[in-house]
Amino acid sequence: MPKRKEEPRDLFPGALEMMVLEILRRRPLHGYALVQHIRERSDELLRVEEGSLYPALQRLLKEGLVTAEWGVSASGRRVRIYRLTAKGAKHLEREVSKFEQMLEGITRVLAPAKS
Amino acid sequence: MNWLRRIFGRKRTYGDLSEEIRAHLDEKVEALVANGMERKEAEHAARREFGNVMLTEENAREVWRWAWLENFLIDVRYALRVLRKSPGFTVVAILTLALGIGANTAIFSVVDLLAFRQPPIEKPERVATLAKQYARGDYGNGFSYPDYVEIRNQSTAVFSAVAGTTSFERDGLSAGGSNEPIWTDYVTGNFFKTMGVKPALGTLIKPAAGSRFDDEPVIVLGYSYWKAHFGGDPGEIGKQVLINGHPVTVIGVAQKGFHGITALIDAQGYLPLGMAAVTGDLKKDFRTNPESTGFGLIVVTRLKPGFTFASAQPALTVLARRIAKKHPADRKWRNLVAYALGPLSPVSDPSLMNAIALLSALFLTLAGSVLILACLNIANLLLVRGTARQREMALRSAVGGGRERLVCQLLTESFLLALLGCAGGIALGLLASRWLGSIRLMASVPFALDFRFDWRVFAYAFGTALVTALIVGIAPALRATRGNLNDLLHEGGRTVAAGHQRTRSILVVAQVGGSLMLLIVAGLFVRSLESAEHAPLGFEPRHVLNFTIDPRQAGYDKAQASSFLSGLLARVRALPAVGSASLAETVPMGPVDLEMDLKIQGRQPPAGRSPLSAGYNAVSSQYFKTMGIPLLTGRGFLDSDARTSPSVAVINQAMAKEYWPGENPIGRHFSRTDDPKHPIEVVGVAGNSRGRVDFWRRVGPFLFVPLSQNYDYRMPVTLQVRASLPAAAMEREVVDAVHSLAPTIPVMDIQTMTAELYNINSFQLFQIGAGLASLLGILGFALALVGIYGVVSYGASQRTHEIGIRLALGAQQADVLRMVLRQGVFIVGAGLVAGILAAAAIARLVGDFLYGVSPLDPITYLGASVLLAGVALLACYVPARRAMKVDSVTALRNE
Repeated sequence: MPKRKEEPRDLFPGALEMMVLEILRRRPLHGYALVQHIRERSDELLRVEEGSLYPALQRLLKEGLVTAEWGVSASGRRVRIYRLTAKGAKHLEREVSKFEQMLEGITRVLAPAKS
Repeated sequence: MNWLRRIFGRKRTYGDLSEEIRAHLDEKVEALVANGMERKEAEHAARREFGNVMLTEENAREVWRWAWLENFLIDVRYALRVLRKSPGFTVVAILTLALGIGANTAIFSVVDLLAFRQPPIEKPERVATLAKQYARGDYGNGFSYPDYVEIRNQSTAVFSAVAGTTSFERDGLSAGGSNEPIWTDYVTGNFFKTMGVKPALGTLIKPAAGSRFDDEPVIVLGYSYWKAHFGGDPGEIGKQVLINGHPVTVIGVAQKGFHGITALIDAQGYLPLGMAAVTGDLKKDFRTNPESTGFGLIVVTRLKPGFTFASAQPALTVLARRIAKKHPADRKWRNLVAYALGPLSPVSDPSLMNAIALLSALFLTLAGSVLILACLNIANLLLVRGTARQREMALRSAVGGGRERLVCQLLTESFLLALLGCAGGIALGLLASRWLGSIRLMASVPFALDFRFDWRVFAYAFGTALVTALIVGIAPALRATRGNLNDLLHEGGRTVAAGHQRTRSILVVAQVGGSLMLLIVAGLFVRSLESAEHAPLGFEPRHVLNFTIDPRQAGYDKAQASSFLSGLLARVRALPAVGSASLAETVPMGPVDLEMDLKIQGRQPPAGRSPLSAGYNAVSSQYFKTMGIPLLTGRGFLDSDARTSPSVAVINQAMAKEYWPGENPIGRHFSRTDDPKHPIEVVGVAGNSRGRVDFWRRVGPFLFVPLSQNYDYRMPVTLQVRASLPAAAMEREVVDAVHSLAPTIPVMDIQTMTAELYNINSFQLFQIGAGLASLLGILGFALALVGIYGVVSYGASQRTHEIGIRLALGAQQADVLRMVLRQGVFIVGAGLVAGILAAAAIARLVGDFLYGVSPLDPITYLGASVLLAGVALLACYVPARRAMKVDSVTALRNE
């Protein structure tokens, strides 16, 4: 896929999915709200290209980690609301612990050597 | 089912997706507007932040697809459209490929028949025939009955069954008043069980109770013989027929497709081995006397489970040593070897397998070269199209088509072409192999050549198509997708990348080389045939006419047959146009070879060697005159050499040299090993003559005995007549003479001796080989010419602009001609060098199959090179002339 712009930092594969699942764990949301959520929560440190959210959502749908239903948003528009499934919750747990392990490892390597 | 719902619910999923994305953008726009942005500006911003909507949707959809398969289907659909859009190119490409693949398929179907096909029996790969290797290294596969029994009893550790069969006896079968020859195998009782053959009808010959196998008067018919001669009538079972005058009962028909142990030849009937002592020349004591097996028994074995031929070999070697102790010193075995049943069974000499393998490899290589030539042409065409499509490719990659996708797309096109070519090729191959199958094999034995296309042939055709697609497609695909949009759009399609033309030129060099190689190899085969035809045979075939007669068919007994034959000779010799006439048991190049083992007084074969032996023929008086074989010393046969007078023989020069070196053989004596008390006196020495066209060998020891003293009543006799009349007129007179003595006797195989030379045993094989090689050579030649013409004329047309400028600036037409021709000359020259080198390499490998012509024969090499160079340069000249005539004004105005 041709690149369209320089991004500050590429997300590693699976990161976007993990964040989406985590947000959905707290409450069901529709796509636009999800993007807003990520932006606000990360204090704009992470810039997620809005478009890339949708392929990610489709992947989660296909895996059965989330479900989607048409509903009405708080502002009264017709939106497609995503909801975490039990399978998705379990998947999230696994992914998060794996991620924490990885982060721990990276941190240790990057940390200044101790005596 | 989840995935089912996924496929069928896809449209809705996609619809949801689009709507969702639209809603997302709307929401965003409204949020921005609420923040005080202009609506128009907000719309832009929303899209900018979202990214490429189309691509996002595409990526999101892709999640749901079997991307690989669906891309493939899209590619196929697109490729079909592209191919349909340029029908000229498509038709030419498919036809070219069909020719190439067809030639390969046809050749492979022959190779399949000669090298891979196995009989329709139970686990044929576990069945083998045995060959014994003599101490001096040569092989044989005819075993005496006592040897067979030894092998059977002592190999139970490795073989689950051991059976014996004769190979091809020519008997006479009378049924319903007609009498005709039938080719039979005499088999031990366990033969069918060992082979794992089932009856198509009735029962088969079975082992009798006890160790003695049966010699019941029964016969099992071969399937195709039963179909052809008894109309496939099941009522034949249980009926009685006469084999050589002895009544036998038809008890069954063998499995369809099974035609005995001898590959490629159809056994028409099977009798119990013991019956050979009744209907054939097997002596009654054959079970105990190793000398009296009139014919060798072929030993067939089936491996025990768990064994391979390799793991059984040590046991066989031990067995060979043990049995060797019982043999006289002159025929010690060194080893026993098992040869898995194959298209060449029974194998007696492993060198034949190598020859077949080498010939198969040669013809597959030649056919493969033709296909490569065809491929190169298509590759060239695709390169040209690639140039034309570079803009399309550049644009497609600019709008987001990945390079792999584009390469895949182009490869799909060439695969499609190759598959269509493959279909055409299989059709052509079927035609060609049907034609091969229809070549009338000049032979009196019943051939069972089945050019059926089995799965191996189809797999081969398909495999070649796939390889073809890759060869043809990969270079143009990579090249076409390398284009850079910027360069291309700016060039305006005017300039031709120099490298591009170079690739095409190299392809054509390869074509010229390949084609020259094919031409040279074909030329060598043709020259080889020619020189074989002119090689000295040692006899004079012209003006000799052969007639085959079997007196048994007139119901004569042996005495009647003898007097009928001498009466016939007298009558034919009295015909005015007849110079001489004689009888013989076999004719040169005929289907039968006779051989006898000899004992010669005062001459022992060196210890550990095979017995002395010689080929032989039983002939009447006047034989040497009729055949034009010179008598060097002594005399030929006279009518006075009768049954009761002392036995005599005429030997050939080779035999005199080998068995009586430096002596005068006249007056010497020898005897047959199976009749040692009966001395035979040498009365004459004849010049060497050939019974086979095996010119690469020296003529071996051969002897002639008088038919009167050696008449084998069960063999048909050939009457040979040397006459000054044309064959057709002579034929009528002789047949009339025969029928005036015996009105009902059939006269078979009427043929001139010259025609006999072209039967399958002699020149016909050379002819078929030379014909096939020539066909492939011509095909390759035509393909190469198309290639050269295409490249040179395309090169010239691309340079029209340049030529126009040159002419406008004052270049002469001759300069232009020279410039265009130079490219052609270079290509042809380089191709010639490559071709000569390739041909020399291949010809050296097949030198053994060439007779009278060196693998580096300068005439062939020069002739083929000149022919190819001449025609190729002509193919260059045409486009060069056209370039010369370019009108500079028109050429420049085209811009």
